Amino acid sequence: MVSLRFIAKRLLLLVPVLFGVATLVFAILQLSPGNPARAIAGQRASEEFVRQIERELGLNDPVWVQYGRFLVDTVQFDLGDSYTIQRDTPVRTILVNKLPITLELALYGQLIGILLGIPFGIISAVKQDTITDHLTRVGALSGISIPIFWSGPLVIFLFAQILGWLPTSGRIDAQRFVIEPITGLITVDTFVQGIQATLAGGFAVSHFGAFFSAVSHMILPAATIGIYSMALISRMMRSSMLEVIRQDYIRTARAKGQGAKITLLKHGLRNALIPVITVIGIQFGSLLGGAVLTETVFGIGGIGTLLVEAIKVGDYPVVQGTVLVFAFLFTLVNLGVDITYSALDPRIQQ
Amino acid sequence: MSTETEMGSGRTRGVFDRLRASPFLSDLLSNRLALAGLVIVFGMTAIAIAAKLFLDLEAISLTQFGVNPPRQAPGWWAELFGGGATTTTVGLLEYPFGTDGQARDIFPRVLYGAWYAMLYGTITVGISTVAGVGLGIVAAYFGDLTDNVVMRTMDVLLAFPSLLLALALVAIFPDGLGLWRAVAALTLVYTPRFARVIRGAALAVLEDEYVDATVALGATDPRVIVRHILPNCLAPITVQSTLNFGLAIIDLAALSFLGFGAPTGTPSWGLMLSNGVEQGLLTGQWWWSFFPGLFLAITVLGFNLLGDGMRDALDPRMREALD
Repeated sequence: MVSLRFIAKRLLLLVPVLFGVATLVFAILQLSPGNPARAIAGQRASEEFVRQIERELGLNDPVWVQYGRFLVDTVQFDLGDSYTIQRDTPVRTILVNKLPITLELALYGQLIGILLGIPFGIISAVKQDTITDHLTRVGALSGISIPIFWSGPLVIFLFAQILGWLPTSGRIDAQRFVIEPITGLITVDTFVQGIQATLAGGFAVSHFGAFFSAVSHMILPAATIGIYSMALISRMMRSSMLEVIRQDYIRTARAKGQGAKITLLKHGLRNALIPVITVIGIQFGSLLGGAVLTETVFGIGGIGTLLVEAIKVGDYPVVQGTVLVFAFLFTLVNLGVDITYSALDPRIQQ
Repeated sequence: MSTETEMGSGRTRGVFDRLRASPFLSDLLSNRLALAGLVIVFGMTAIAIAAKLFLDLEAISLTQFGVNPPRQAPGWWAELFGGGATTTTVGLLEYPFGTDGQARDIFPRVLYGAWYAMLYGTITVGISTVAGVGLGIVAAYFGDLTDNVVMRTMDVLLAFPSLLLALALVAIFPDGLGLWRAVAALTLVYTPRFARVIRGAALAVLEDEYVDATVALGATDPRVIVRHILPNCLAPITVQSTLNFGLAIIDLAALSFLGFGAPTGTPSWGLMLSNGVEQGLLTGQWWWSFFPGLFLAITVLGFNLLGDGMRDALDPRMREALD
């Protein structure tokens, strides 16, 4: 088991990193060109009006005063109000609405990656240096090498435009279905709606129309992410499995007369999975970063597209908030990975 | 192979023999996937240099409107399936990659894109390697406070998803810098990766007794670092640079794709891809984005194959075959 002391120590180490992250984000925005007050007021506003906004936002205060204010606000999760994208809406509200969209996509993508990556990795390791192994390895390396902003548009072109099997972009057929967010995860929400309708008026396939629409919109982006993620997972699975099956305890198990498959799954897989879990965690973090590209390609309005738009229009509080939240999530995921890892392999804690 | 060696001069034989004698190189060269990667990397470099030398950037940036045919599917594609925006038939090998929205021949532009990818990739990876290696070795060698300051700073940079940090950093630099701001941002993002790996490698070297011996003989700090630690860290440095080269090329293209990289009109793969996706795919002109993306993917694959092979060749655990 993981000792509480270990977890406490890791949490404590997180504080300086998060402090550094906040400082860096503040510095980046201080260095960014352009006057935020001008961005709010609009290009044609009078100089006087711009000055007034500057005063209201405290932009004329010394940098260290602004920095102190920023730190105090950030600790309280107050990320300020959006300048232009959703004027005067707290950035926190915008992020709370958009974050589930990004997380849902990443979760499905990761699920596909795990379900395909682990078996492929095992097969590749067991059949080391055969044609199967070579093909799987080249496949995995290609998966990592193909940029998502190339494969994404191509699968849209093929499956949505030419074949017409799946929708081109968005999260749901917005003209036919209206969803009320419950969890913010669209596949869950539409499914719950379907269940509710069924409970109220008996089962009908049409109750689940919105759910099917949401799922069909999810397939292409999730598969595109999934292939990338599968590539990384199967690579790690392969090398970890190769290392484990050379261990003495595997030979011992085989010498006892245990079957090859049982040995592989019971003794091999269990131990080989440990480093793979690390990769899955780290991979999840980078999926969050990759959301910027996936969401742009598939026209999904999560926090990835939000960030790109905010940078383009100079909505600094939104940029600040989004980057902070991404870094925070990324750090938390890494912490989770560390703790899981040490729970699985107690040697780490020493 | 053997005939080649026999036919070559004495010097050539010497080089081959030396290559064979090194376990790292022979392992690498006997790995077919790594060899394929090496061929791709050399090939792309050759294309890049040739494009820079023989292609006129002005000429391939010129619109061909007014010239027949203005907008054209790849010749072979038009021949086989018809289509394209015009009805004029061209030869099978004319416009092998078609022409784009401004009726420019895509083929030379894609070739020229190799120059941009290789050049800016080399600069990004080169600077972050030098900076990361420097910081990593200094942190390991001096330890204590230096180590803490350097590595905690690196931790902060590593706390961001990489593309995200690059995006935020790009915003600092003025638009006029074009691809250079992407290079600057990515250099900052990549440096910590090198620093972390090299610090680990340097710490391992510092454990070795010959380091104590040189220090005992009176070697100065710079001498120990340059003559002993650095050469013994070269292997992980090379692997890291190779693997990150592929990533850097993708990230540079990604920033251009999102509109924060190459200025409009530049024949960079990322920009051609983004224009092709935004304007060409919906109307069926798949070739606008397909070929730049294909070259990008092949180049990155080359670096990944090579980097992977190097890592395996350096890792003795991967050597023995499975019973």
